[in-house]
This record gives sequence, C-alpha cells and structure tokens, in this order.
Amino acid sequence: MQNNQTKHVYSPPMVHVVDDDEAVLDSVGMLLDSIGLTNTCYKDAKVFLDAYSEAEFDKQNGCILLDIRMPFISGIECQHRLEEMGCRMPIIFVTGHGDVPTAVEAMKSGAVEFIQKPFREQVLIDSIQKALQANLKDQKQLEIIKTTQAKLASLTSRETQILEAVVSGKANKVIAIDLHLSQRTIEIHRAHVMEKMGVKSLAELVKVVIDASPTD
Amino acid sequence: MPEPDKTILNQMLSYKAGNQETIEDANARLIALLDAAVDALIIIDGKGKIELFNSAAQKMFLYTSQEVLGKNIKLLMPTSFSVEHDKYLSSYLSSGEAKIIGKGRKVRGKKSNGEEFPIFLSVGEVKDSSHIQFVGIIRDISEQEQDKIEAQESRERLSHASRLSSMGELAAGIAHEMNQPLSAISSYAQASKRLLQSPTQNNEEKVVAALDKICDQAIRASDVINRLRTFVKKRVAQRESVALNGLILETVNLAKVDTRILDHEILLDLNYINKPKLLADPVQIQQVLLNLIRNGIDAMEHIKGAPLRIRSQWISDNMIEVSVIDCGHGMDAETSCGIFNPFFTTKESGMGMGLSVSQTIIHAHGGNIYFGPSQPNGCIFSFSLPAKIISQENIEK
Repeated sequence: MQNNQTKHVYSPPMVHVVDDDEAVLDSVGMLLDSIGLTNTCYKDAKVFLDAYSEAEFDKQNGCILLDIRMPFISGIECQHRLEEMGCRMPIIFVTGHGDVPTAVEAMKSGAVEFIQKPFREQVLIDSIQKALQANLKDQKQLEIIKTTQAKLASLTSRETQILEAVVSGKANKVIAIDLHLSQRTIEIHRAHVMEKMGVKSLAELVKVVIDASPTD
Repeated sequence: MPEPDKTILNQMLSYKAGNQETIEDANARLIALLDAAVDALIIIDGKGKIELFNSAAQKMFLYTSQEVLGKNIKLLMPTSFSVEHDKYLSSYLSSGEAKIIGKGRKVRGKKSNGEEFPIFLSVGEVKDSSHIQFVGIIRDISEQEQDKIEAQESRERLSHASRLSSMGELAAGIAHEMNQPLSAISSYAQASKRLLQSPTQNNEEKVVAALDKICDQAIRASDVINRLRTFVKKRVAQRESVALNGLILETVNLAKVDTRILDHEILLDLNYINKPKLLADPVQIQQVLLNLIRNGIDAMEHIKGAPLRIRSQWISDNMIEVSVIDCGHGMDAETSCGIFNPFFTTKESGMGMGLSVSQTIIHAHGGNIYFGPSQPNGCIFSFSLPAKIISQENIEK
C-alpha cells in the first residue's frame, strides 16, 4: 500500500476501528496487528469523535472501520458528524446484520465499503487497501493543491492579475491594452509567473491552476 | 356439621301412618334416594369394609355391588392413597382427629379396569349406629379437570405464539447478537493463523491468549442461543421459585436484541433489601416484562436518549409490584380503553397480542396488570404478583 516514492513523504496510515462490542474491537485490533496495519481502537463513536476533534492524530491520513449499530451515536450519525468536521478519511462500514436500507444510505453518504460481520480477513484487507489507496490519492491531491496555492500566494497582485488573464485565454496584446501597460511589461510579468509557478508551458500553467481550484 | 336427624326414619315411617306405612316402604324410598343420586354414595365400617354401594358408585367405579360389598374400600383407590388409608382410619378412631371429615377434598379413584380418575370426596360419620360407620360421597371431576387442563394448554399455546411473534419482530437484532461473538471468533482465529505463520517472532503467548478469547466468545454465542431457545421453546408452564431481580436482569439482556433499546438508558430500581421471590413460571413472567419494555421503547421511538425505568416495590406483605415507566408520548383515552383487548394495536407492525397475553399470564399467576400516566409525561405499566422475601438462608446466587 505504500510505494517507495511516498513512504518518506507520508507517515504510515492509521486504521481507526470504532465498535462498541469489546470482543469485536479487540479481535479486529489483533487481526490488523497481525496483518501489520497500524490501528487504534475506540469503544464508541463519541470517544472517536472526541479524539478526532481534539486532533490527537493526523486527521486525514488513514481510514475508518465503523460499526453501524452503536449506542447513542450510530455509525451513520458518526459519518455525518465527521463530514461536518471536514474529515476526508474513507469510511468502511461494518455491520452485524444485512440491513439493506442502512447500507444504501451509508454508501450514498460516501462510504467506500460495506462489509458484514463475521468477515474473512481477505475481505477486510481488500477493503482497507482500497480505502487507503483512495486516501493516499486524496492526500497527494491535497498536497499538490497546497503547493500550488502556496505558489499562487507568492505572486504579486500584478502577477496574479496577469495570470488570471492568461489562463482565461487572453493574448499578451489584449492584456496590455486592458491593463494600460506595454506588451513588453506583460511579457516580463508573464515570465515571472511561469517561473514562480514552476511551469514551462502555457498548457502546464493552465492545468496546475485548474487542478488547484476548488472543485466543489 | 348439622346433628344427624334421628327422626328421618320416623318421618318416613309415619308419613302416611294412617295408611299403615311399612318399614318396606321406607326402605324402598331410601333405595330410590340412593339410586337417584348422581354422586357415588358408599358406606364403610370402622375397618374400611364396604357396606353400601349405590348405583352411581357402580357406574363410576365399574363394579357391581356384589363385587365390592364386604371388600375393603382400598380396592377403589390407587396404591398411593390406599397405603395411607388404614392409618387415617385408625388414627381417627383412636384420637378422633379427622383429616377429611367435614372438609372434602380432591383425591383419586381407581376403576375396576385399573383406570385412575380425579374425584372430589366428602366423608361423614354415621353416628348413633350399632357400629362405627362412615359415609362417603364421591363426585367424578374428570371433566372439570380436563377443562382446566385444556384452558391452560390454550393459554400456553397463545403465549407461545406471542413469544414467537416477538422473536420474529426481533429477527434482525438476533442476527446481530449472534454475529458479534462469531465475528470476534473469526477475527481472533485469522489473527492467530497469521501469528503462527509469521516466522519472525515467538508469538505463542499471543496465540494462547487469543484461543482463550475464542472460547469465551463461543460461550457467549451459546448463551445467546440458550436465552432465546428458553424463551421460544414450546413448553409446559411450570411454577418454580424464582428470584425476581435475576429474572428482571435476564429480561433486560433479552430485550437488548431490540436495536432501538441502544438509544435508551435502562434504569433499574429494584428491591436489593428484602429481595422478592416468586412462585411463577419464569419464562411467562419474562414474556410479560419483555412486552412492557418493548412497548415502552416503542413509545419513546423519537425521543433519543430518553430513559426507561424498571422498578419493583412491595405493595403489601405478600405482593410485589413491577413497573415499567417510559417518558414517551403517553396514551389517549381511546387507546387506553382497548389496550388489553386481543388484536388491539396502535403499531404498524404488531399482532396486538402482547398486552392481552400479558394480562392472561398475570391473572393466571394470581396478580393484576394495570397502567396509568407517568409524570411529567409517558406511561407507567405495572403488574403485581404474589411474592415472598428471600430468606437469609437461601440468598440468591
């Protein structure tokens, strides 16, 4: 699940296990240990949500194995609260009984997997792999966005103005007229933008900017 | 007992004195009286020898009077009663202490073909007679007893059906309850396998610990099955001495298979001093309590976290009252009128048998079931049952 390229960039992902059944929690923890997956166990949704909101761990690195049927705060409710807190970790729902409507609701709300107790380890491993891959991709994306945003922030206001114009497809000549500047000045600013953004071509610049812009 | 009337024969003899009534006429009338009786009439002497056996007795015991006259009355009793009979007779004759005279009681008789049957026997002594004599009047109560048994059986069938129906409604919860320990077992086993296959460390200790946990979980699964099995098993109702507190705790565990109970707190307010003991059928009492708990949870469906209280209290020296108190939406007048009627329900998926069956069960146990509003809102459902305080010597486990 970790290739060499990312290993030194990211710390090992954490599998958060939330289940109110002591024996289930203990046994899943032991199984994950034996597989070699770093994990933390929480005895109910409240304990997990508290830990999450107090930032006791890297908030985005890992996945969550969430029991559906728990007292006071159900798995589904926990999922909604995590969403509100901006949690992006993928959720794998675990259930003791095949409750189809609940499963549908969970998947609609963005759960990556829905597995039924008792499960085969391979099913668990596969689901976790899938969740962690999705999480890794998501984190990389976030990383790229962050870098791009940092680069964008380093631009002067004039450069930002010119960047926006360039990306929207205006030629230097048009930009010069719009901004009442000489075409030469625009060319110099544009070169600085390309340099600061770390790109070599106009196509590359457009892609980087579009990737970093919020998709929602 | 009224004094024996010595003048009866005189009345009979003198009835039509003018017409020269004879002793034969009186005798004929006596015979007619004896034969007209539906009950068996038997007269025995002080040693138990049969002296008189009317026609109803002949039909009842399938003997002719010739066959039994002069024989011992023990002939008409099953062995379990006949062995004691001589003792009763001699103890009464020597001490005058009567076990049965003037009271009447249920015993068993034996026909000539060996068939035993339940009878109601009343016994009187023949006083002012030449020798000691007793008269017995016997009624065959087979039919009444049979009716009672049938009524009991139909009650049991109904309560069994209702238990099955609650279990049906709880099916998803039961699946969950079973899958928890199974899931733990499967995870422990798979983890152990991996540990054993891993060449790196010495994992023996971890595997041994996991195996212990697997055993615990297997027992947990079988406990779930046993609890449910006891509850749904078709069975003959049995009264036994049961500690109420234990029974309530067990029922709360059973109720936990209902998913929705997880959203509510169950508060127990039981008698920990003067612990009550019932003579009851534990499964049926559980059934009543489970019904009330589930109704309470139903009433609080949309009030997350609202507590359900279960309280027991002595309402007299020998009556305990168990109450289930919800803080739900309460009940309107119309609902409260029909609540104990069979097939009455306010729920979309309900048979409407719960409270009706509960009432039957509680009445059969000599108790009562009733309800009222709870403060500030909700309902309180209670049932009372005859109970005793568990004495210090046999405190529950």
